[in-house]
Formats: sequence, C-alpha cells, structure tokens
Amino acid sequence: MKHSPWRKFAVGILSVAILNMGMMGAASAGVVDTAELVTADRAADMSVVRSQLDRAEVRAQMEKMGLDAAAVDRRVASLNDRELHRLAVDMQNAPAGGDAVWLVGAVFIVLIILELTGVIDIFKKT
Amino acid sequence: MKKRAVRQAARFAFLLASAVLLSACVTREPFIPAHLPAGAQTSVELDATPFFPQDKYQCGPAALATVLVASSADTTPEALVPVVYLPARKGSLQVEMQAAPRRFNRLSYSLSRNLESVIEELAAGRPVLVLHNYGLSFWPKWHYAVVIGYDAATDKFILRSGKKRRQEWRARTFMVAWHHGGRWAMVVLRPGETPASADPTLYLEAAADFERGASPADSRLAFDAAVQRWPAEPVAWIGRGTAEYRAGNFSGAARDYAAALRLDPNNVGARNNLAQSLLDLGCPAQALEQLQAVKIDALASPLREAVLDTRKHIEAAVTSTPVVDPIRCPSQL
Repeated sequence: MKHSPWRKFAVGILSVAILNMGMMGAASAGVVDTAELVTADRAADMSVVRSQLDRAEVRAQMEKMGLDAAAVDRRVASLNDRELHRLAVDMQNAPAGGDAVWLVGAVFIVLIILELTGVIDIFKKT
Repeated sequence: MKKRAVRQAARFAFLLASAVLLSACVTREPFIPAHLPAGAQTSVELDATPFFPQDKYQCGPAALATVLVASSADTTPEALVPVVYLPARKGSLQVEMQAAPRRFNRLSYSLSRNLESVIEELAAGRPVLVLHNYGLSFWPKWHYAVVIGYDAATDKFILRSGKKRRQEWRARTFMVAWHHGGRWAMVVLRPGETPASADPTLYLEAAADFERGASPADSRLAFDAAVQRWPAEPVAWIGRGTAEYRAGNFSGAARDYAAALRLDPNNVGARNNLAQSLLDLGCPAQALEQLQAVKIDALASPLREAVLDTRKHIEAAVTSTPVVDPIRCPSQL
C-alpha cells in the first residue's frame, strides 16, 4: 500500500494535533499554565498552528540528522513551544558544541594575541 | 615564484613573532579582580564537582552530566547522548542542553551575559556550564566546558573540559573564547534553589518551563523560592498558586492568585485562575464576581477560550448551588 507524501504529511500533522489536545486536557484542569502567562505579553503570535508546524519541522530535521524515531519522539516531547520554534528556525546553523580541536587552536592563538596586544578589544562593551 | 611564497611566509612569521613578543611586554590589567562582585571570595575551586572525560564530539553530554551530577541528579554522559547529541551536527545544541535538566527534575537557568554572574554562581558553590568558540565567526569551533573555580590573584579560571580533569585558563583567554561563543552560560538548580545572580524575569521563565513536567510539590518549591525572594513579582505568586491548585489545595491557590492580583489587578490569567479556584472551593457566586469586570472580547487566544470556559462552568454551578457557604467561601481575599 502506497500513500502520497501529501497524505502522510496531513496524517502526521493531525496526529500531532490530536496528541496535543489530549495533553492540554490532562495537564491543566481549569487553571491556565504559568508558562502561558509569562510569555503571553511577549509572544502573542505564538499560535497553536505555528507550534504544530514547528514540531513537524523539528521532527523532520532530527530524523534527517541521524536520530531514530523513538529518540526523536522523546526529544520533541521534552521541548516547549518557544524551544521548538528556536530549533525549527535555526537547527542547521545554531552553535553545536562538539570537540576542542587544537588544529583550529592556531587561529584561536592569533585571536588571543591580537586581544592581548590591544589590536582588538572585546571587553570594551562590558 | 617560489621565492615570493617564501618571502611571504617569512613576513607572516615575522609579524606573528613580533606580536608574540609584544604580548609579552604588554601586560593588561588583571581581569577577575575588576569583575569580582562585592562580597565574593577571591578564590574558589569546587573540588567536589565530578569529572567525565568526553568521547569524540561529545563534550555536550559530558559537560551536562558534570553539572547535573553536581546537583545530585542521577545520570551519566552515556545516558545523555541520546538526549542531547545530534550526530549530523557532531555536537549538541544549546536549546536541548537547556531543556534536558527538566527530565531530571532540575531547572536550568541561563545566566546574564556578563562575567560577574559566572563568578557569583561559582562563589555560591555552583559549577557553570559555558559555551566556548575556539574558531572565528565564519569558521566556528564550538565546545562546552564547565567552570569550577577562579583565582583573582593569578587571574585564572579553573575548568573541567574535554579529557582534562583540571584545566587552568588565563581569564583573558577564557573571555576571548567565551565572548566568541556568545557569552552563553547556564546553571542547573534543584527545585527551591534560586541562582545567586538571578534576574527575576529569567528565573520565573525557567520555573514556568519547569512547571510543565514537574510534580505539584516540586513546582511549589520552585515558585515558593521566587515568592520569598521577589515578593513583588505577580508571576511568582501565580506559579505558586497553580502548584497549590494542582495539589488540590484550592484555598491556598485562591490566596496566592489574590496576592498576584493585588500586585497586578489587570492580570486576566490570575483572575481566571482565581475564579476557577473559587469554583472548586464551592463558591460559584464569588467566582462569577471575579470574572464580571473582565472584557472577554478584548482578550487574545488562548486566554480568551480559557476565560469563556471558566465562566461557562461557573454559570452552570451558580444555578445548581445558589447558596453561599459562609464558612468555606472567604469573604475577603
């Protein structure tokens, strides 16, 4: 049985939406979450639709980046809307801390020397 | 042709050598003493901080395990690899590093981007996770490490980093790498702890993120600490109220929401939650009174839906229990 990519996409979005509805109902019986009140004045554009699109985007990118489906589920579930949005926007280029490679250290040493000799001064701002 | 290349290389070497020599003569004033907050010790080393030597590319899980275990969470770098490591990026992203502690019942708090905050946390006994950049803006090399101490006399920071258990960094060198890494630093907190350098808004944001997955009791600890430290912040009271509500303590919740409203009478979220708590106490008449002045049409989603929903429930209850119980229903909030 073969499904069109469009159908897969639609089913994906829907299942996320349904899952979300379940979570909302269970999490707060009556009172509004503090998180919503903290961010309400700052990010009024945080719509439910956008957060679902963000979620789908992050999920797709994580799978592309070599994570298995179970890990992706857990990782996406542990992020809030704000975090999902940051990842959805910038997952390819955001700083990814990895190794302290000392090959590049050469470049770094030049930077430090420039700083020490006063050619550049990064601390002026503080 | 070949001669020219040699000449160029020689010229570069000469420039570099003179820069090195110059750096030996120029001593710029020490850094840590100038950024030492009032009252902080002149030297700190958090010896008890655990050390996990990192595997290839996995400074993220190693550094995160270091601060988590230091806050007595039970984990290892291996357990954190599937939580924060991204194979295709050969590293870990800040967003996930910050989200991960919540899985271990910890709050994560990003420090203000200045050295004073880092030093203040260290002086308060808390190791600080930092992001370094050893490359250039167009060719970055990112690395996570944990600062465990400083010494104002020698102007050095002490780190757990990579495969080194104890690494001393000259403060200026540290600052170059930290500055080019965006001056990002975070600490991990047990529920009930607030950072020494905390900004109330940033802390309350962290606590609100923590609330989502935490038990009512832990959530209460996190917001109660905020109420004690910043009693003028309405969100601190709202957060504690919500923790009380979730624990089934509706009168405690009503008291906290009412306190938030005294500080910020136009806070519709707090008013909605107060009305809901009064309803759960069995006081629908008073609950309705709270919502009467709210201009529902002017509200944005999803608060609008929440208030409409609360009002619907209250109205249903008013018709079925019209009698006000004077013992249960507080006359003064």
